[in-house]
Amino acid sequence: MVRTILRTRGIGRRFAGVTALDGIEADVRAGEVLAIVGENGAGKSTLLKILSGVLAPSSGSIEEVDEHGHAHELRLRSVAEATQVGIALVHQELNLAEHLDLAGAILLGREHHRFGWLDLRSMHAEAARWLARVGLDLDPSTLCGSLPIAQRQLVEIAKALSANARILILDEPTSSLSARETDRLLAMLDELRRSGVAIVYVSHHLDEVLAIADRAIVLRDGRMAGTLERASMDRATIERLMVGRDLPPTTARPSLGAAPDRLVVDGVVTSHRRRRPASLVVKRGEIVGLAGLVGAGRTELLEAIAGLGHASGTIMLDGRALSGTMAQRVARGLAIVPEDRARHGLFTLDPVRTNVSMAWLPRGAHVGMVDHAGERDLVDGMITRLRLRPSDPARRVQTLSGGNQQKTVLGRWLAVEPSVLLLDEPTRGVDVGARHDIHEAIRAAATTGCAVLFASSDLEEVLLLADRILVMHDGAIAGELARESATEVAIMGLATGGALEAAR
Amino acid sequence: MGAGYLYCARLRGMTIHRTVAILATALSLCTAMAIAPAADLVAAQKERIAGYAKQPMKSPHLSFVSNGVADFWTIAKAGSLAAGKDLGCEVTVVFPGAGLSDQKRMLEDLVIRGIDGVSVSPIDPKNQMEVLNQVAEQSLLITNDSDAPGSARLCYIGMDNYLAGRQCGELARKGLPGGGEVAIFIGRLEQDNAKRRWQGFVDGLLGRSTDAERRDDHTKPFTEGGYTIVGTWTDSFDRAKAKANIEDVMTRHPKLALVTGLFEYNSVLAVEVFRQAGRAGQIKIAAFDEGADVLVGIREGIVLGTVVQDPYGYGYESIKLLHALTQGKLDAIPKDGVMNIPARTITKDNVDTFWSDLKAKLAAGKAAK
Amino acid sequence: MRKHWGLLGIFLVVCIVTALYGKNFLTAYNLMNLVQRTALFSILALGVGFVIGTGGIDLSLGSVVCLVGIAVPWLLIEHGWSPWAVVPIVLAGSALIGLGHGLLITRLRLQPFLVTLCGLLLYRGIARWMTGDQSQGFQGEFAELRSIAVGRIPLPGLEAFRLPATTIPLIVLATVAAIFLTRTVWGRWLLATGSNESAARYSGIPTARLVTGAYVACSLLAGLGGMLFIFDVGSAQPSDFGNFYELYAIAAAVLGGCSLRGGSVSVVGIVLGTATLQVLRNSINLLGLGSQLEFAVIGAVLLAGVAADELVRRWHAARLERRGAG
Repeated sequence: MVRTILRTRGIGRRFAGVTALDGIEADVRAGEVLAIVGENGAGKSTLLKILSGVLAPSSGSIEEVDEHGHAHELRLRSVAEATQVGIALVHQELNLAEHLDLAGAILLGREHHRFGWLDLRSMHAEAARWLARVGLDLDPSTLCGSLPIAQRQLVEIAKALSANARILILDEPTSSLSARETDRLLAMLDELRRSGVAIVYVSHHLDEVLAIADRAIVLRDGRMAGTLERASMDRATIERLMVGRDLPPTTARPSLGAAPDRLVVDGVVTSHRRRRPASLVVKRGEIVGLAGLVGAGRTELLEAIAGLGHASGTIMLDGRALSGTMAQRVARGLAIVPEDRARHGLFTLDPVRTNVSMAWLPRGAHVGMVDHAGERDLVDGMITRLRLRPSDPARRVQTLSGGNQQKTVLGRWLAVEPSVLLLDEPTRGVDVGARHDIHEAIRAAATTGCAVLFASSDLEEVLLLADRILVMHDGAIAGELARESATEVAIMGLATGGALEAAR
Repeated sequence: MGAGYLYCARLRGMTIHRTVAILATALSLCTAMAIAPAADLVAAQKERIAGYAKQPMKSPHLSFVSNGVADFWTIAKAGSLAAGKDLGCEVTVVFPGAGLSDQKRMLEDLVIRGIDGVSVSPIDPKNQMEVLNQVAEQSLLITNDSDAPGSARLCYIGMDNYLAGRQCGELARKGLPGGGEVAIFIGRLEQDNAKRRWQGFVDGLLGRSTDAERRDDHTKPFTEGGYTIVGTWTDSFDRAKAKANIEDVMTRHPKLALVTGLFEYNSVLAVEVFRQAGRAGQIKIAAFDEGADVLVGIREGIVLGTVVQDPYGYGYESIKLLHALTQGKLDAIPKDGVMNIPARTITKDNVDTFWSDLKAKLAAGKAAK
Repeated sequence: MRKHWGLLGIFLVVCIVTALYGKNFLTAYNLMNLVQRTALFSILALGVGFVIGTGGIDLSLGSVVCLVGIAVPWLLIEHGWSPWAVVPIVLAGSALIGLGHGLLITRLRLQPFLVTLCGLLLYRGIARWMTGDQSQGFQGEFAELRSIAVGRIPLPGLEAFRLPATTIPLIVLATVAAIFLTRTVWGRWLLATGSNESAARYSGIPTARLVTGAYVACSLLAGLGGMLFIFDVGSAQPSDFGNFYELYAIAAAVLGGCSLRGGSVSVVGIVLGTATLQVLRNSINLLGLGSQLEFAVIGAVLLAGVAADELVRRWHAARLERRGAG
């Protein structure tokens, strides 16, 4: 049953003289999950690009192994060629065409047709089958653009499955999924593994890796830091191999005592379909986590506080009503780091410098003129403070890794020293090291008096970062948990509609 | 189809008869194949006119269609309306502003409205045969300003553009007796009147014999009898482009001795450009039509003179002829089917009288909305 | 400037070829004409540059040129108004047109293409209706007013070459635009809005106001351009004045490196792009190529320019990718 079907022999890749990847030896076996873990810049994405035909290796080779054990070299010149031999990549960035319906997106390029006419009925039937396989109960004629991000990710996976992939490469597949959806995905992958599909699984969530991987390859600085078999896999070993150093301990949180209320949200009804009022308070210097399932209304609540989208109810900042457009609220000291950084956060074609200084500009301006020297100092300082890599302010944001992109968006707001910092999924698609840096920066902002309210589907993160946890369910706050008494089980209980008492 | 038109008829409150007539007209416009040959159409029109001799039309509805929008046509409009008033008939004047397709649409609309007679200045006669003959089939067709040879038009009213061009050419020859470099500017050369006018100018300038059928190649420069025609420039009515053309030709040909603008604004812009460049009077201008700056230029002596058509006459005579036809007077059409309304040459001697007369006619055309 | 090497190359090649094979390209008179035409068309292109910078488009520009170009002599000659009233009124009117576009686009969320396409039809229609389709001209009057466009300013030390007066508004406008775009907060925010409107909104940028402002600027400059054009040409016909000028302006802006996707505008590029188009049209006449070829030559050069630009961009991006991957 477990048989090697693809093998890399000393794969390496250099870019303009710089070695990005070197000497990678990996066996991909049918009916096995191979995890690839590593920090940003460790070479994961380069390896994935080589395996999926986007890039050619500059040294070494890929071999396909047939059922008799004969190996022959595979030269992948394009994604299309990779798809043909049964290799499918589910990309970290979501690539669905927004204006297509689900059937059209899943079967893109493989549309059913009869005499040149699209056979929509049979397309919908097939699409529905694949959607069911990933646990989505959606009408295949739904438009992709109307789906929340979590569901789009699942559609991407359905699309790859429908292409009859023998080797399924998943790049951070759970970065936008809730805990429940993650479990469902892992169960689904387990089923695929049983049916003989080989799975290459890239994730920085070590829990998932530990839960599903049969073997793990740890990359560091483009080289193999180690290969772990299931029996020898544990969190500490993997982290040590990944980072190559021990992460500094997290800063201890000071006791807040009788800090005054900074952000008060009272009876705010958002655009969430249930139209239920939500109320909460964040104190000066406090970090409050918003937990809940995807669709619980966390994003809507954060956006309502920021003045994006319609909402009713009162919001107070430092005792004064906060209202008007987002621009007016920003002037009062509000900041929001959005969930979908590519769409709502970044100017991807622009350099780090302009991305970071965007919100700060009016502060440094004299009669509307940009203070260029001040801008340079600000951005250089922010790059150092957030450990942004590479530390080049002229670098286009597009070319940065997810973690560094997220640091760029966060830096934009830290630059204006906000009174209220709202964050939606602050470390999605971000690896361990960057996550640590981001958490530390958020803690530092809170220490200076900023009220932080963040939403996260990652329970580990909620427990790690929040002083106090609010759990949302169906558009309203279902309950509150103190940091000390919170557990993943308690949060999930509230998030799925259980009573507070029952959760305790 | 049947249910459709019944519904339509009830809805609009029309008589069935009228609806059928309109549908039939629209249908015949759609099916160009159904149009009979030009000769038959001429005969059919004459037959209808003979019918009118027994039963003259009371206050016929006649139309005058220009080939574009200009003061020239406003004066023609004044003439048409004056004739309508004198003869007691309804006159509709239309100016197509957007070229060939616009003129086609307007002609079709007139036919659908049941017009009794049309005088049109076709923009591109060779490619307009179908629509012209459709008009002839449903109404009475004459042409003005620019003829449509081979169509079913009963008569052409206008100036012979070849002869008018010659007048302008002779003006230029007289102003530049020793020969020299000459440049020609014209809006566009597609239409027949432009081609004939151009050839007339060339023949007049070079002192050749009168031969309207002669055709020189306008795309190449040539020299004859001491005169060099350095080229002909068109601009498709973009005035900024027309101005740039004159400027660029001045740059390219420093020895330029004379230019002619064969369309009204070409002459006006030549005056404009030479004034701006400080070369007014140095390079001579033989103008066409009666642009205000051209007339001022003649007065000041920086324009040799201008050849003017009589648009008022085109308008007046068009309506007068169409009206006569609706009364059955077939002999109002000249024998060769051409009613010549000759051009006049305006020089310093007669510019003032001409101008005051012109202003009066233009005012009359503008007053009529 | 670095990103304009390609365009500068094309510009110089056209100039050199014309100077070598055409006649009198480098005479003072011809250079004056070229500066004049470049200045007039650059003013239009600068305006549309702002709109393109926000990721929008303005197709109505040529019709605004027409409406203003017709309205100026119409009010001055036909209605006998004072120039002191006419100039401010037509400029305010064009700004109002832009405000209308901006509000329809930002408040009603209509597509810029659609709004300005309707504008293209609407303003020309109004111009034709207003004047009864009659051509309008100054009839030899208002020479002083017209000298704003046709005047030539003597330069010390130069005999033959006198600077066309339109250069002055162009220099002022181009300087203001360049400073605005590169040095001011609002300029930065305008470009940010063009490169990712939603991210701009999430950054607390008042995007609606900026986009509206860009359309106001565009129509205002089109109005100013229309006024200068009519001063220059002297008379105009409502049915064809300013026809296709929006396309010349957009073409110049795109040739000058403005991305139609928004987010990048270069004032130097816009002026250089306009100059290239004007020199090209001039060279067709000076080389004696026959005006029938004009559109074909312009189309071919534009296509070559844009394609070269795209190739350079990809090469650059590939280099970045190679540097940045890991």
